[in-house]
Amino acid sequence: MVDVYLVGVGGQGIITASKIVGDAATLAGKKVLLSETHGMAQRGGSVVCTARIGDVRSPLIPDHGADVVLSFELLETLRALCKASKNTVVISSTERIVPLSVSTQKLRYPTMEDVEGKVMRTAKAFMQIDAPRVAADSGVPMSSNVVMVGALAGTGITGLDRAHFESAMKMNIRRDLAENIIAFSEGYRLASPQP
Amino acid sequence: MSRILEAEPGSTMLLMGNEAIVRGALEARLSVATTYPGTPASEIGDTFAKVAEQAGIYFEYSTNEKVATEVAIGAAASGLRAIVSMKHVGVNVASDPLMTFAYTGTRGGFVLVTADDPSCHSSQNEQDNRFYALFGGFPLFEPASPQECYDMVKKAFEVSEELGQPVILRTTTRVAHVRGPVTVGEISVGPKKKEFVKEPARFVTVPAVARARHLVLLEQLSKAEQMADESEFNTVIRIGDGGRQGIVTSSAAANYTIDAAKGMGLHVDVLKLGFSNPVPSKKLLDFLRTHDIVVIVEELEPVLEMQVRSLAQREGLGTKVFGKMDGYMPRAYEFDQAIVTRGLARAFSSDQKETTRCELPQDLPTRPPVLCAGCPHSATYYAVNKATNKKALFASDIGCYTLGVAPPYSTADLLVCMGSSVGTAGGLAKVNDLPVIAFIGDSTFFHSGIPGLVNAVHQGHRFLVMILDNRTTAMTGHQPHPGSARDPCNPGAISVSIEGVVKGCGVKWLKVVDPYDTSATTEAVKEALTQDSVSVIIARRECALIAKRDEKGAIVKKHYIDQEACKKCRTCVTKFQCPAISSIDKLQTIDEALCAGCGVCAQVCPYKAIKEAP
Repeated sequence: MVDVYLVGVGGQGIITASKIVGDAATLAGKKVLLSETHGMAQRGGSVVCTARIGDVRSPLIPDHGADVVLSFELLETLRALCKASKNTVVISSTERIVPLSVSTQKLRYPTMEDVEGKVMRTAKAFMQIDAPRVAADSGVPMSSNVVMVGALAGTGITGLDRAHFESAMKMNIRRDLAENIIAFSEGYRLASPQP
Repeated sequence: MSRILEAEPGSTMLLMGNEAIVRGALEARLSVATTYPGTPASEIGDTFAKVAEQAGIYFEYSTNEKVATEVAIGAAASGLRAIVSMKHVGVNVASDPLMTFAYTGTRGGFVLVTADDPSCHSSQNEQDNRFYALFGGFPLFEPASPQECYDMVKKAFEVSEELGQPVILRTTTRVAHVRGPVTVGEISVGPKKKEFVKEPARFVTVPAVARARHLVLLEQLSKAEQMADESEFNTVIRIGDGGRQGIVTSSAAANYTIDAAKGMGLHVDVLKLGFSNPVPSKKLLDFLRTHDIVVIVEELEPVLEMQVRSLAQREGLGTKVFGKMDGYMPRAYEFDQAIVTRGLARAFSSDQKETTRCELPQDLPTRPPVLCAGCPHSATYYAVNKATNKKALFASDIGCYTLGVAPPYSTADLLVCMGSSVGTAGGLAKVNDLPVIAFIGDSTFFHSGIPGLVNAVHQGHRFLVMILDNRTTAMTGHQPHPGSARDPCNPGAISVSIEGVVKGCGVKWLKVVDPYDTSATTEAVKEALTQDSVSVIIARRECALIAKRDEKGAIVKKHYIDQEACKKCRTCVTKFQCPAISSIDKLQTIDEALCAGCGVCAQVCPYKAIKEAP
């Protein structure tokens, strides 16, 4: 059983990322359940997707139950910590999307030190990826989500082969597949355990 | 090509519950599909829209759920199989034809898909539409997974045709929007034409016919109960060694129940109901007789629980029944494994480590959904607040523009359902002295705003209707509506003019404005509010997401804030809202990547500090 909790902001391509994970698991012959946020919440709000690989019927991940938190945005990383425990690897993009509540109310966007401190106290490991830069360097600036999926694959926690992820990308990415494979590979490399 | 059509018979692929419904229907000799979009049902229609032509079926996005149901009834009464899908509250709109269609019955299989939304993820209430099955007399299927969506829609068509009765398939958000493995069969759609054989003694529900048909409905329902008793979708799943403790459950709750019971190490029998109306009385009584304690686990209303308790009472059984009527399970919001675990632990007096719900730190900035960068609604609301100085009452409606409820706009004071803004504005205007403005989207106006406008003209109500015309049904995923310039499912579709409709209703004062021109919009609102009858402003500008996608229609001039000219007055965030503008430590900036180039913020800034990027 592997539980992946994907979070970010509406419009970041989180559903596509979760579909790639789901299709990769299905191609590997594993049972998988995904759940996703649709409708009004997608308009720039917090978005949550779950991917549960294994024999389970409930699509939602219990509190402190995630094996991986895959976050596309720093503030959302903190919001996702309820699903994390000392068994959880947190992989976060360093992208910041400042919500309007920071502009209009007296709430502060957390500093990198805040995020690091809280994640390290809660989780087993914290991996930071500059996904927007990696995506831009790969020639697909809108594909931070693909970089993050690459990072998830690179950790090896899902137990899925790289080839399954690459086939799943072909099923879900319509434009610039070659560049997206580069973005995926770079994310994969950054997250792979050091030899 | 869509993966829905691609899948080879016998293969397993990952499908969303909504997609699995489409694939199942396409294998069940379907001829006609209709819908009005609404979360969490929208992908059913959207998937049909993609595959209809290639699959050889007829599909349409209808004007509203009632019309969608009626179109499907016309086809099904002729003898073809038809499916109509909608969100739970859509069934309220469609309930009028449905309640009587249960009397006439159907010749071709007819399946209504209702997608309920426990926890109101994207809805104005969390009504439990299983009550419609009891209310109108519809056989009811409740899938718990995408595979069951696929299997049950096929069965639902068979049951519908065998009984000659319309059938309801009810999903919830955690079924409709879950993706899981689905093993599919062979696509086999129905014919395109079938001649309607006249039979007024069945299909024309004058009182004499209706009285006779009610008895037929009751007779068919008792046959349906037999079918439910024999259905393979109503089965006992043994957890551990089973024993004298039992659970009755259905839909998404069944998933949480089975995972919870396994996780708790219980020995229990789970009667999972998939064909749940009429309730399978024989199976339930047998289950009650062979268990000492039975817990009912269902989301929202105690629909099964009331019926199980009534059966136990009728038969004088001493089985202890626990559920939500005695507080063991909650009656509001969706369940999860932890909620079900807590309830089962109490009911079965099983010692469980109390899991505490994780609370988020209070100081974390919230991130509710917001109007997009370049959203024309944002510009409209800014102009309305400027024109009225916020001294007005705002009747709102269902769409992205409902987000105007939040500061800085606060342009929503009353909202109940689709199309309600125009009607409620009439009542507000009658009993209040403040000016009243109704906001309604273009798709919502066609859906159910028009009767309200006719009423306002006829009764002489005095208020302003602002039709926020972004040329699409934006919130549910940009589906077409009767006013759209083109309908991908119907190349010959005629665009119905909103101006024509408004004038036809008898409105004397009508103006069309471009919301990106905030001073013209502000002036129009001021002028409209001086009229002594109902006035209408059409604020027309294509949805910014579409404009961006099509890279046309948008005025793409990226803007920036000239920090030397900026007086730090923060008008751009206190009177206006744009995700591209942030204000941190009194420093206002525009994120160039997010900027849609609408130029509205430049009109908002009193010091002309917001400028076009060179």
